[in-house]
Amino acid sequence: MTSESLARSVVDSLVGRGLNDVEVFLKSGRSRRFEIGPQGRVASSSQEEGWAVRAGSDRASLFVAGTGRPALDGPWPDPDGLPLRLPPAARVPPWRPPADLEAPLSGETEAIRLLEAIEKGVSSELAGTRLLRGLLDEGSSQTSILSSRGIEETYRSRAASLFVEMAGPWPGAQTVGIAMARRELRSFHAPTIARRFVDRLLLQGEGESPERDRGEFLLGPALGVRLLVALLPLTVGGGSGAMVRALRDRQGRIGSELLTVADDGRYRGGVLEAPVDGEGRPTGESVVIGSGRFHQSLVGWKEATRSDLVASGCVRRASWRDLPKVGPSHLFLAPNPEVKVATLLTAVARGYYLIDTQGNGHFDLEQDRFQLPVCGFALRQGRAAAPLAGAWLTGSISSWLRGIQGVARDLEFEPWSGMIGSPTTLVTGLELRRSP
Amino acid sequence: MADHEDDLADAYFERLEEVEYPAADEEPGIRVRREEGFAIRLVRGGRTWLAARDQIAATEFGEALRQVARAQPSAPYPEPTLDRAPFPLLEDTSRLARFPTLVTRAIRRQLAAFPMRLRVRRHRRWIRVIGTQLAPEPQSESFYSCDADLPWGRFGVLTPDLSAATVEGLATSLTTLFRAQEAPRVEPTTCRVVLGPHAAAVLLHEVVAHALETDTLMLGGRVESALGLQLGGPLLNVLDDPTNAPESVRRSSDDEGMIAARRWLLREGVVEQPLADLFSARHSKALTPGAARRGNRHRSPAPRSTHLELLPDESSMDDLFAEADGGLYFPEVSSGRLDPLSGRFTISLPYGKRIKAGSLGELLGPCRLRGTVSGLLSGIDAVGRDLESAGAGWCAKNGLKLPVWASSPAIRIGAAEVES
Repeated sequence: MTSESLARSVVDSLVGRGLNDVEVFLKSGRSRRFEIGPQGRVASSSQEEGWAVRAGSDRASLFVAGTGRPALDGPWPDPDGLPLRLPPAARVPPWRPPADLEAPLSGETEAIRLLEAIEKGVSSELAGTRLLRGLLDEGSSQTSILSSRGIEETYRSRAASLFVEMAGPWPGAQTVGIAMARRELRSFHAPTIARRFVDRLLLQGEGESPERDRGEFLLGPALGVRLLVALLPLTVGGGSGAMVRALRDRQGRIGSELLTVADDGRYRGGVLEAPVDGEGRPTGESVVIGSGRFHQSLVGWKEATRSDLVASGCVRRASWRDLPKVGPSHLFLAPNPEVKVATLLTAVARGYYLIDTQGNGHFDLEQDRFQLPVCGFALRQGRAAAPLAGAWLTGSISSWLRGIQGVARDLEFEPWSGMIGSPTTLVTGLELRRSP
Repeated sequence: MADHEDDLADAYFERLEEVEYPAADEEPGIRVRREEGFAIRLVRGGRTWLAARDQIAATEFGEALRQVARAQPSAPYPEPTLDRAPFPLLEDTSRLARFPTLVTRAIRRQLAAFPMRLRVRRHRRWIRVIGTQLAPEPQSESFYSCDADLPWGRFGVLTPDLSAATVEGLATSLTTLFRAQEAPRVEPTTCRVVLGPHAAAVLLHEVVAHALETDTLMLGGRVESALGLQLGGPLLNVLDDPTNAPESVRRSSDDEGMIAARRWLLREGVVEQPLADLFSARHSKALTPGAARRGNRHRSPAPRSTHLELLPDESSMDDLFAEADGGLYFPEVSSGRLDPLSGRFTISLPYGKRIKAGSLGELLGPCRLRGTVSGLLSGIDAVGRDLESAGAGWCAKNGLKLPVWASSPAIRIGAAEVES
């Protein structure tokens, strides 16, 4: 029996038991994992196959998930709790599957070579640096969703992730970690990653912070991403009304005209690119903030039916074990394709180029303030004047949103809860401090 | 497959079950997750190969064997006969379903009421490891986890049972957290601090257990150099003993099938036996395996604590408070983090109380404890006499989410750095 016909039989079987709304989610895939670390070199390969069923009537509901394939006779527990309504089918616009879906997964030699190239690239510039842990994951999968409300979708995906942790050669050096995700392991560029490590490690060793300073701040993609992550309570879910009202100015804007934030489940080349979301609803681009004006947060089908919001096709499942949940797929601050980073850099007379974060920081949307540990360079007339580290970028979240004076074209995504992306931005109205 | 003299090869089989009752306003209702699978591992020198599958079946087993041995598909690896018992039936979950109501009632008895979403889960795990040298008895674990979403944050506990004492304990913690929201914040200070058994156990998990895991020690160089190191004062006797854990999570062997035994991590403050798995023990004769844990079949094992114990001393709580006038008391910890390289740690404390004239005074809001492992451990100047089962929680080092258990008395730290 094919997966689809098995799923159809499970739906029919549960409908026959009086559960009107039934959904079967099937996922299978292969993944490879390579690790260099204190446990030596580890090469793992997995074949994963799992399923999940959501089912409910007007009175109660259940969720069951398991490995392998579902059996027609369950066993199914007695439904409990609230009733369940599943989304109806909607027309799914045509989607062209990415060409790399057919590419084979990388082998052990290729993966280890990449990790070693990163280590070698860093060591050649900073002797004595140690690779503490290098981890590469790559996998491909097929997902099918079928429901009693007419949804019947199947699509394929692939993703690769990299996590590397290194330590500088000096005593008391703290670990520096970089996490990235791409569609293919072959897309990771060892020299670029090594360069980023060298910058971070050198800044950690040599950088200093001013007691307190203001000026223009060029925020690298990593900082933009971290600030967007802090904004997730505003951009995801329908409960952000009060926060938005507090941030609006007299013109009704919450940010600079240069600020546009969107989420796109079909982002071309994106790690999470798919034709439908975790409930089988069509994905597409949703503008959350357009030219500084708040449009609407990302909401699922159910929330949209209860309000005047539009469903964003942004319900995701972390795995087959997990229930679908509203969340970003590729949430990004829209880049300006006309502007090079160098153009913004040379425009800074006196300020700082902040290239990375040095910790999680503290964000308080209710009190409208944040403190983020950062590193980078002091800038004078568009040139690096001194290394900066151990500094805290502080200010209000509204100041950051309104203070965006320039947006570059170098959009980069990082894996968080979904892929979050930002280009380099030029911002005023914030402050650097030696302590938070 | 294990055709070299020093090869290590094993097969790991697991079944997991999680039954969850969501908060009253969440759909769907009852949630059941059941999974099974296996992993085959080959360790040769400093290299490990692992192949995992999401079902227990002979064909998949044969394929995985071939994959780990890196043999061509045509290589003759006969499919084994797997004597596979059916998945155990779903047990009665009525106690689980009633638990949130019982906690809400207990909170009301403490004259409090606040919005809360309480989820409760029962976790069961069955594992069997078959190695080249021995085949230990199958192991099983059963425990519960509760998560409360509160307007001011999240609070979670692990517990081996859902007894009346668990209900009361959780209700008291949640009520105190609620009351602490209006409490004044702690001004940054360095002062004497008394940690209750729960907080002491979490702190020791971060600064002793994690620091003495061989994969952490390897980051700093040779593991053997830690042996005999004076890490704390003579009052510190810390063990890891999976055989003495609460009965439903007690283990006689670890996730590599090695015998789990009472392991002295610190004896009178001196490092005696780090937490080691087979991989690290193969590289050093001074190490004893038996402390390996697996997050799941898809990940290779790593050394971790299972049931941490701090042996009691002579001080009563009154004694601890008597010499901590003007200091702070913290009964709970919400999270902790250790930087393995620098030895610096941070512990988040959801609330505390001021110590005045030998007794507890005003309630204080959330704060953090910071310091270095050596600074903190050498600063412990008293250990309580009343041992409690305490400090259970999820440990998430390197992305491996594992339940950990502990028993500990209260401790006093001479000078601790506290910040709001």
